[in-house]
Amino acid sequence: MRMSVAKQVLLHVVVVLMLAGMAFPVLLLVFNSLKAEADIFASPMGPPHAVTWANFRRVLSETSFAVNLRNSAIVAFSTVILSVVVTAPAGYALSRFKFLGRTFFSMWLLATQAFPGIIMVLGLFTVLTTYGLINRLPGLIIMHTSFSMPFSIWLLKGYFDKISVEIEEAARIDGCTRLQSLVKIVFPLAVPGLLAVATFSLLLSWNEFFFALVLMRDNAHYTLPVYLARFLGSGGVVQWGPLSAAALLITIPVFVLFLLGQKYLVSGLTGGAIK
Amino acid sequence: MTHADARVRTKRSWREEKHAIPFLAPALVVLACVSAYPLGMGIWQVVYAYKALARKNVFTGLENFALLFKDPVFFRAFTNSLVWTVVSVAAMFLISYVLATMLNSRYLRFRRFFRAATLIPWAIPGVVVSLTWRYMFLSGGPVNSVLSAIGVAHPPAWLTDPQLALWTCIIANIWMGLPFVTIMLLAGLQSVEGDILEAAAIDGATYLQSQALVVMPSIKKVILIVLTLEAIWTFNSFDIVFVMTKGGPGSASMTLPLYAYQNAFMYYQAGYGAAIGVVILAVLLLAVVFYIREVLQ
Repeated sequence: MRMSVAKQVLLHVVVVLMLAGMAFPVLLLVFNSLKAEADIFASPMGPPHAVTWANFRRVLSETSFAVNLRNSAIVAFSTVILSVVVTAPAGYALSRFKFLGRTFFSMWLLATQAFPGIIMVLGLFTVLTTYGLINRLPGLIIMHTSFSMPFSIWLLKGYFDKISVEIEEAARIDGCTRLQSLVKIVFPLAVPGLLAVATFSLLLSWNEFFFALVLMRDNAHYTLPVYLARFLGSGGVVQWGPLSAAALLITIPVFVLFLLGQKYLVSGLTGGAIK
Repeated sequence: MTHADARVRTKRSWREEKHAIPFLAPALVVLACVSAYPLGMGIWQVVYAYKALARKNVFTGLENFALLFKDPVFFRAFTNSLVWTVVSVAAMFLISYVLATMLNSRYLRFRRFFRAATLIPWAIPGVVVSLTWRYMFLSGGPVNSVLSAIGVAHPPAWLTDPQLALWTCIIANIWMGLPFVTIMLLAGLQSVEGDILEAAAIDGATYLQSQALVVMPSIKKVILIVLTLEAIWTFNSFDIVFVMTKGGPGSASMTLPLYAYQNAFMYYQAGYGAAIGVVILAVLLLAVVFYIREVLQ
């Protein structure tokens, strides 16, 4: 079967149009961040008439962006580290051992995806208050880690399944302990999977809004998504220029890291998590 | 099986557990502390209500549920949540399926580039997505300026018209969900052998027939898992409606998670919020049972 040239052209046109549609709102965000306020509503779709950096300057100098950026960075970075440290051994155990409650453990992991945020938050208040973690970043870090666990453990199990047991056994025969063979042989082979987990938990933590909104109580502890929502809500008329600049500044770091990690994330999701 | 065999087996499996426990311990601790325990405690909130006179939470049994079933806003939020989820997921599936089929075509050039470009909305924080779409649908915003340009005399007020507010939010949600669904479907499609399609073509199947009768059944598992996951996420989602309409105008675009949040954190009725949460949980458990069966198969 061959596709006619006309159809091939049509294929490309449709793909380009659909992807342009998907990219367009992001392009608008870039335009708006570089426009003066009057310019935004004079031409809501077009590129800026005169590029101005005033919006960015205002966000950086007149708002608490730096403080909230610091919070977001701490939370996201810690979530990534903690996720990898917690999920790598668990994924390995799920792949290699038969143990009592293995099926229950897998089912619980999958089920956590469906627990309503509101129930979790109301229950968490009790736990976090007991340990003095309300309005503290560690509370949020543990929370985000628990969100990334189901997917990450599942994804890594898939990766470890593909690494043959023989390699490990060979290392053990050569005198490695189980731990040594893990650290020296198995985990290095699973690096793409670990990078997938890192990318996944980074996106999740950096973008998470609901728990950050409810568990943190003052601006000194808010993360960037909460900062942005408050920026939008503060005082009467929405100023789209500065708001777009702030939105863009929040997006750029995670976007760049996503570009670096997307290869691993996609192959991890499509290879490990589903099949 | 002899008695000795059984004993050997038990012994061996216990040895496996001894090895497994240290690996599982960190994950189990996190799960127990921030998933199992809060779930139980959260559900338990249902039996309390804040009484202004007593100035404290009073045990009220199942009164919160009784109130729930007399609350018109709850019913509005419930129907909205169903519409929001079903329409979003159905649209994501249709658009993503078409896109994934095209991205899978061997006649498409620059495939790697196009596939990477599909992922863009995935990396954008939900709050940023929401405010971008809020801007798109402002009364003097991009969408209406296009409508004016093509001669629509009175373009609608997307965010403040009670008939439209929920649908406007749905559009933003679809946009945000497309990358994940597309990438997963694409992975499924890549596993379908070209031969099957050629065979279908020889048998005289039209394009749509071969998609519906040959391709879709062979990637059924991926489709089911992705759609169930996306349905769970959408039903639970909070960011978009919170930022775009706050559930308004009135309660026109109210969804269950947002209504639960408002009750628990703006009206200080944690028990009532928990009751709404229990309803969400009940609906999602149905989906989750289905999802677990598919994944663990």
